Amino acid sequence: MAAGEPVPHEAAGSAGSAGSAGRAGSAWDAPEPAGRASAVRPFLLTAGRVSGSGAAPSLPVESQVVATPTGLSALDSLAFEHHDLVAACRRPQSVAELAAQLRLHLNVVRVLAGDLCTAGHLAVHVPNAKATQDISVLRRVIDGLRAVPDSRGTLRDSS
Amino acid sequence: MVSVPSPTPGAHSATAAEPPSAGQPPLPVKLVIAGGFGVGKTTAVGAISEIRPLTTEAAITEVAAGVDDLTHTPGKTTTTVAMDFGCITIDPTLKLYLFGTPGQDRFGFMWDDVVEGALGGLVIVDTRRLDDCYAAVDYFEHKDVPFAVAVNAFDGEVQHDLDEVRWALDISEHVPLVVFDARETGSVRDALLVVLDVALTRAQSAAVS
Repeated sequence: MAAGEPVPHEAAGSAGSAGSAGRAGSAWDAPEPAGRASAVRPFLLTAGRVSGSGAAPSLPVESQVVATPTGLSALDSLAFEHHDLVAACRRPQSVAELAAQLRLHLNVVRVLAGDLCTAGHLAVHVPNAKATQDISVLRRVIDGLRAVPDSRGTLRDSS
Repeated sequence: MVSVPSPTPGAHSATAAEPPSAGQPPLPVKLVIAGGFGVGKTTAVGAISEIRPLTTEAAITEVAAGVDDLTHTPGKTTTTVAMDFGCITIDPTLKLYLFGTPGQDRFGFMWDDVVEGALGGLVIVDTRRLDDCYAAVDYFEHKDVPFAVAVNAFDGEVQHDLDEVRWALDISEHVPLVVFDARETGSVRDALLVVLDVALTRAQSAAVS
């Protein structure tokens, strides 16, 4: 797979972080703060931008996002959601996983990941749409799934 | 079908194995699990996912309580208002995601978002409330997504026979209809394999023509 093609979101500067009590990149199984809803509206985090507007299709939920060395070294200079996103991407994560883990709206993650990608802090790997018709990919998935035992023990805490 | 061992050793056995470098993410593929309220989507994802399913669940609100009838699902007190998902690492270069999406019409706006690029879909059916899954069946048919319908045998019981279900849902002969138990890993696995079989057959015939 080619290294992170920037997703052509409109990169309108990084005025995004309007500030919120963002949670630092945490482990999978961090206890979930029950019922906490963000006091900050999603559009504030994205400076009013929405994903999938304009020419760019919105980022598929399973797209893999990973921090670049530049992003990791710039981590201390990043604030709020930008910081959390890059920190959470030390290993590859899907957009959906990031949204769940950081408790951000899916579309907020899409917009911010696009910004961070443009800034060189994140690499975004958009899945190849042809994979769904690829017989060899399907066979690998089938074989992999067949190998799943009848019952799983306790779930692993990391992927 | 040949079962080709994964070229990379120890993909599954290692617990909490870090990828060799953070640089190269796996190819992500996905299956969508759709179905009505309280039908067992979250249970099914949880039964087979290798990670605890990540879910955005909110306690049902009074407004939603009027819409999502709880009388047929006693004991269910919350509903998934966003989507829940899990994953299965096929090998270090391939990862299968499972997305559970609400099946009712009014959540249709979420489907395009998730279904685009999916290998296929599984529609879970509760025979006590067949009408809850019409929308999902319709959707997969119109989008031409490979799919199968799985009747969730709550407490090991299916209240209608499969021919009746097929007739009632008006699903065509070529759509597989199976009975499964959303709580059983093996049962969920087999239901997903039925979906993938539909996808594979379709991909193969597309390759020939």
